[in-house]
Amino acid sequence: MPTAVLERRPPGRSGKRNIVGWIWFGLALAAVLTVVLVPYGWMVSGSFKSSVELQAADVTRPGQEPSWIPREPTLDNYRNVNRTVRILDYLRNSLIISTGTMVLATTLALLAAYALSRWAFPGRNAYVVSVLSTQMLPGILFLIPYFILFTWLRNQFGIQLRDTYVGMIITYTSFALPFSIVMLRSFLDSIPVELDEQAQIDGASRLRILFSVLLPLARPGIVSVAIYCFIMGWNEVLFASVLTGTSTRTVAVGLLEYITAHEARWTMMMAASIIVSVPVLVLFSFLQRYVISGLVSGAVKG
Amino acid sequence: MPPDGSARPGVASKRTGPLGAPPATTAQAQGTAQPQAAFQTRGALYKFRRFLIRTGPAYLFILPAVSAMLLVHYIPMAGGILVAFKDINLFTVSRWYDAPWVGFANFVQGLDPGGFLGGRFWRALWNVSFFGAVTITAGYVIGMAVALLLNREFPGRTLVRGIILLPYITPDSVAYSVWRFIFQARIGLVNMWLMKLGIIDEPVIWLVGSNAIYAVMLAAIWKGWPFAALVLQAGLQTIPRELYESAMIDGASRWQRFRYITLPMLAPVTRILILVSILWNYNAFNQFYVMLGKDPGPAADVPSTLILRETFNTFNFGVGSAMSVVLMGVMLVLTMVYLRALRAAERGQA
Repeated sequence: MPTAVLERRPPGRSGKRNIVGWIWFGLALAAVLTVVLVPYGWMVSGSFKSSVELQAADVTRPGQEPSWIPREPTLDNYRNVNRTVRILDYLRNSLIISTGTMVLATTLALLAAYALSRWAFPGRNAYVVSVLSTQMLPGILFLIPYFILFTWLRNQFGIQLRDTYVGMIITYTSFALPFSIVMLRSFLDSIPVELDEQAQIDGASRLRILFSVLLPLARPGIVSVAIYCFIMGWNEVLFASVLTGTSTRTVAVGLLEYITAHEARWTMMMAASIIVSVPVLVLFSFLQRYVISGLVSGAVKG
Repeated sequence: MPPDGSARPGVASKRTGPLGAPPATTAQAQGTAQPQAAFQTRGALYKFRRFLIRTGPAYLFILPAVSAMLLVHYIPMAGGILVAFKDINLFTVSRWYDAPWVGFANFVQGLDPGGFLGGRFWRALWNVSFFGAVTITAGYVIGMAVALLLNREFPGRTLVRGIILLPYITPDSVAYSVWRFIFQARIGLVNMWLMKLGIIDEPVIWLVGSNAIYAVMLAAIWKGWPFAALVLQAGLQTIPRELYESAMIDGASRWQRFRYITLPMLAPVTRILILVSILWNYNAFNQFYVMLGKDPGPAADVPSTLILRETFNTFNFGVGSAMSVVLMGVMLVLTMVYLRALRAAERGQA
């Protein structure tokens, strides 16, 4: 009955309801954005307050409440950000460790994903299962043997892994690998095998096929995996809190040093927080499209 | 008769593949000289060779990843389980293999509900389960609501999507440090607002004692829902529009469309999302460590913080390992129960 259809449809599309609908939509959107942005606003505002202003603030005294707009905005927190906590050194450490992890993990994952995608070899399924299962093991379970292993290697063989870049890169690579392999494999699977065969007929070697044919096509996947590895290294706290020392401390744990038992330097911590977030935010917004599709396909399939 | 003359990629590489080149040519040369004999007398060897040529490169390619994971996953995991049965402290840690075996003593100490440590452990396990139940549910509901909200065309959609992802991509230590700042009693935003609204008369101490876990929950929900929204948004885009159109023709209400189309169509994505969230949740550490410090107190302690303290402050490596082995067991059991329940539910539907 076409008339009935016509009768039912218009109410949802009539002009008046449409406008009301858009108003509700706008309000809901505004609420969501507010909830998301309030902590960032508080962080930025805190980073421009003087520590004196913050110490004087008190929610119980009217007129003395902490304010959104700094009473006397100052750049001192940014200027002195490195004075009490060596945050710039930590930034450098994080940059080295995260970049190293990114390069190493992406390379290893690419090779492994290539094998998983292009060959049906005995043990393939067992390997995939073992890769997936390592993802659900508690990190703390690895931390204790790592510590023991690192201590033992140092005492027995003089190999220093604790508090070294190499040790941290190896550690983080291992944690980035499973997810990276699964993600890259799904990307390589989406590239037709016929392309490989064409290249083979033209006389390309296996490695050549991987790097000249597949790599350009899988660039979105590789980029998202690389970003994932970098961000993982940048954010990790548990292992960094135990396995890094004075010479390799990363920003993720170094940031916490602004608050000690004796002094809480909140304003500097907020300034440092902004500085620490910048590399991640820049990387992410730069490559948002790649990363989102990569993360989603990885999460949905893996 | 070249027995492997098919056109499959693994075979086609025999002329050019780095590993495959020499054996392939010899096998072929001999094969043409005396086909029958070569095939029969060297059958097993030949098959093995052919296998090597075809699939050998695959093993070469996964070798680096496998050895890396062997070194840093499987061997340490085995080590961790061994250590759980040894008495290892700061003095014996460098000669851990000489440390005495103590059987299940570590497990008894770490798990006995009557003992101090065991009591803390079960409490921590309860805390993290409660924490997960609340944060995962809330994260899913909010994520779903926002995913539905954004599932239409409007100007600035890309920008809005980027903004709601901010919490997800902000480093944990930054996000939770800011929340720790927000929850400060005297200078914090939360208390200021609650005072202004007249809900409280004097500042609440949020980050110590029994309130702490709720403060962490709120921060974790704020940080966690964008991921759910991201995944659900991707799921929503796979639902064919025709389903909604025909439902509307049939006169289905908005709620009915959601209940009988959207929810069932999102079920596969939801399953993975919830499973992954549950597993991640039992590893929860960053939010507690950053907001509450090394010792969040019994009411907000979670297994990761407890084990970390027991291992690296008390240097009781054996007990720490025993507790983490149990944690792993809990996670395995939960995963299996969850997967089984899903399978049962699927069978019920079909």
